[in-house]
Amino acid sequence: MNSQQNEQSRAKIFSAIKAAAPTVTMDVKTIQEEALEILKESEFARPKLLSEDATQALVLRIEAGLVIGTSCEKLSTLADLPHSVKQFFGKHSLPHSLKVQGVEQLEKLNWQGISTDSDIQQDNTVGLCWAEYGVAETGSFVVHSSADMPILLNFLPLYLIAVIPKSKILHYMDDYALIANEIAKKAETPRNMCLISGVSGTTDIEGVLVQGAHGPEILHLIIVEDQ
Amino acid sequence: MQANRPEDFSKNVSKALAQPDLKKIIRRTTDKAETKRAEAVANFPEFENARSQGQKVKDHTIKYMDHYLAEFEKNALAQGTVVHWASTGEEAAKIVLDICRQHKAKKVTRSKSMLGEEIGLTHAFDNSEMERIETDLAEHIIQLAGDPPSHIVWPAMHRSREDVVKLFREFHTDPTYSEEITDLVRSARRDLRTKFLTSDIGISGSNFLLADSGSSCTVTNEGNAELTITPPKVHIVTAGIEKLVPSMAHAVPLLRLLTRSATGAEITQYITFHNGPKRPNDADGPQECHIVLVDNGRTKMLAEGMEEMLRCIRCGACMNHCVVYKHIGGHAYGSVYPGPMGSVLTPHLNSLEVANKQTHACTLNGRCEDVCPVNIPLPKLLRSLRAQSWQKKYEPLTNRFVVQSFAMMAKRPRLFQLLSSCGVIFMKVFSRKGWIKYMPFTSGWTRNRDLIEPESTTFMHQYKKMKKAKSGGA
Amino acid sequence: MSQKITNAGRTQSNTIECLNISEKKVGLFVTCLVNTMRPSIGFASITLLEQAGCTVEVPELQSCCGQPAFNSGDDEGTRQVAYQTIKQFEHFDYVVLPSGSCAAMIKKNFIEVFKDQPEWLERAKHLASITHELLSFLVDVCHFQPSDIELDGSYTYHDSCSGYRSLNVYEQPRKMLSKVKGLDHKPLNSHAECCGFGGTFCVKYSDISNEIVAEKVENVLATEADYLLGGDMGCLMNIAGKLNREGHKEIKALHTAEVLAGLAPQILGGKDAS
Repeated sequence: MNSQQNEQSRAKIFSAIKAAAPTVTMDVKTIQEEALEILKESEFARPKLLSEDATQALVLRIEAGLVIGTSCEKLSTLADLPHSVKQFFGKHSLPHSLKVQGVEQLEKLNWQGISTDSDIQQDNTVGLCWAEYGVAETGSFVVHSSADMPILLNFLPLYLIAVIPKSKILHYMDDYALIANEIAKKAETPRNMCLISGVSGTTDIEGVLVQGAHGPEILHLIIVEDQ
Repeated sequence: MQANRPEDFSKNVSKALAQPDLKKIIRRTTDKAETKRAEAVANFPEFENARSQGQKVKDHTIKYMDHYLAEFEKNALAQGTVVHWASTGEEAAKIVLDICRQHKAKKVTRSKSMLGEEIGLTHAFDNSEMERIETDLAEHIIQLAGDPPSHIVWPAMHRSREDVVKLFREFHTDPTYSEEITDLVRSARRDLRTKFLTSDIGISGSNFLLADSGSSCTVTNEGNAELTITPPKVHIVTAGIEKLVPSMAHAVPLLRLLTRSATGAEITQYITFHNGPKRPNDADGPQECHIVLVDNGRTKMLAEGMEEMLRCIRCGACMNHCVVYKHIGGHAYGSVYPGPMGSVLTPHLNSLEVANKQTHACTLNGRCEDVCPVNIPLPKLLRSLRAQSWQKKYEPLTNRFVVQSFAMMAKRPRLFQLLSSCGVIFMKVFSRKGWIKYMPFTSGWTRNRDLIEPESTTFMHQYKKMKKAKSGGA
Repeated sequence: MSQKITNAGRTQSNTIECLNISEKKVGLFVTCLVNTMRPSIGFASITLLEQAGCTVEVPELQSCCGQPAFNSGDDEGTRQVAYQTIKQFEHFDYVVLPSGSCAAMIKKNFIEVFKDQPEWLERAKHLASITHELLSFLVDVCHFQPSDIELDGSYTYHDSCSGYRSLNVYEQPRKMLSKVKGLDHKPLNSHAECCGFGGTFCVKYSDISNEIVAEKVENVLATEADYLLGGDMGCLMNIAGKLNREGHKEIKALHTAEVLAGLAPQILGGKDAS
């Protein structure tokens, strides 16, 4: 990297901006206040949810077929998860093998009869991950990268099951933005924050939708009520 | 397919109009986009409010662009991202290739980025020792075909299924022999999977740059962006400086507008915020993250009072609804950005001298402005460029003469009325049964349609006669 | 004042209070195409305005609204024409034009070329505020409805881009046409899609314009209507010219004002012309 060229270009860009609007204020407080004012309009500029209850709204959205390639179910307790996973295998005629994300709350469950360490670098695998949040507005689950969360777990498998703790289901994307802000204040921002709203898809060939372009073809969300 | 040059616009248009199936191919994409967008808007009663809010987010950021750029840089550096600045496209491409060479990269994977096309990364890599692998399905198709993109959302919309069948059979290592679209997509999935995982460097674009965190946001459907960015050791982002927004909360209104306007879906499947390189114990992710911030004519737009164009969030709605684009297609424009938004951008990214014809290939009907999610006054901007063109005398002499003569006459109403009456007499000479099929000086019109003959004498002539008769009779 | 226009469908309520219209002076700007090619539209405009109770004057020193210069980027040429127009018309209470594009030129674009001339900018703003497209003026300001007009058959309507998008002209012509006895409406598919005229565009980019108007003609013919109506001479000449070139004599193009003023039988009966 030519740092001199870099400095020159940087200076050129900033001075060009200044020259175009020399009287614009640089008072940071004014700028921040103006920025906040705009956000006050969000309440009137977003769609109505299918229910006032965030979980219900998320479920209704998925059941209405508005989230591509996605189904969902509710579980009363996390202990029932392996059973649900077995049913998922049965539904899709899959061998009892998947990659379970290496987080404590999933690893400690009773996975008897199921192999939990598939190699997701191979194709046609099943992945199981723990979502940080759900978002009702868009029918999404959210994952954050970490020591326990390889982002590729959400993209390499052909089938993906995401477990969403009911207490972490948010209404709107704006609510998630507030949380992201709080995380940033604690200097704990992860490398990746992914809002996933359905399966991988493409319409690039003659406008026909195909699921499972490079990522998962089938997504199943399991909302756990005691989490 | 050779890329067309913007200066060859008239030739490009003739070529396009002569293509027998072009209109059918274009409409296959634009008809669906129009219908789906209309449905999405109908299902979102708050759409106008969202548009107003989105416009405010953009205008605010553009107004304080130097503040937000400085904020972004500070916060990106704090995340461990290396920030680069490029005044021109060539500089930006060079920065990217230099980073790749420093890491002795042999293979680079790319997710879709029109900015990347704009700065000539395609060309730069193809002329280098490194292998460029496009991972977005449409970009993958046009890479195999050697085509330039023809649309900013569906770059391969000009390619049919039959074309894709042939390309995949020729280039994929384990191709499908089916012609079903699902099988074609699977073939690409197989072909690209190992390439994702063994790439040296992942290069992406950015839909939004968040100033308060120094982050980049990608908005995609295929998952190829995350598969491009996560496995390699290095991630490079190329982004225009106008991609800035103050924060994630400010990106949200634009996210509500973008997908609805582009494809009619309410949201894309993958919205990912990239906040720098791998954290020390991360299970995966690139060790190094670079962002190349590109000007390439954007500050020029600010200087020329065209800052409204910087609101553009690259949804493509304008071209989907443009009556001219729908007849000539994207390649005719000879630029990475076609249609209405491209006709305003290209003179700034390139030059007005080279790209002024496109600004005239527009009826100023305003549909583009109607559907723009951030209310960009595209017709007004196009006309301003025409005014600049006029000042610089880029218009051919004959056009200038005709327009100036007309204005000269029009500012002298008595002369204008006299010449109008003469015009009526002249036209009557050429009319047969109420229509003019041919007349000197009107070949532009009469080549393709008839000209109605003048009814009788001019209105003013008849009106004056009538008034005289009335006052005479009174 | 206008309601917000939504994209999902144009909803509008453009009613402007106007009391004592007969005490107001209306200046008619016939426009150069009407003046040269189709004076009956000018006379129809006078008829309708007078029926609506207006006192109409036609300043003789009128020429063109300046669109050819403006759309070509010749701001100085536009100004030269605008000076004339402003001087001729600014003293009226209302200025009315039987053309969406010309009315939009005066209402929206004169102010664009006077940014550096504060005195003329004010005068241009004033003129803009009193300028109206004919059909919307008749309904929104005069609350006019035609009576005793008959025309047998069906019509389809092409909305000119400037009229529809810049000036919210949509409901008004249809409302008045619904009062014409014997006349049915057959909606046009893509009624507000540009016809490809675009002023100088149709000669500069004649081939693209041709493709666009050919598609418009297909849509018009598909309605099987007897009449193609509209509020803009440029669009009508373009579409009618293409219809005739393709040999379609079965549909006749008329300006809405001609129909509402009862001139259609005379125009249609007169000659071969559409």
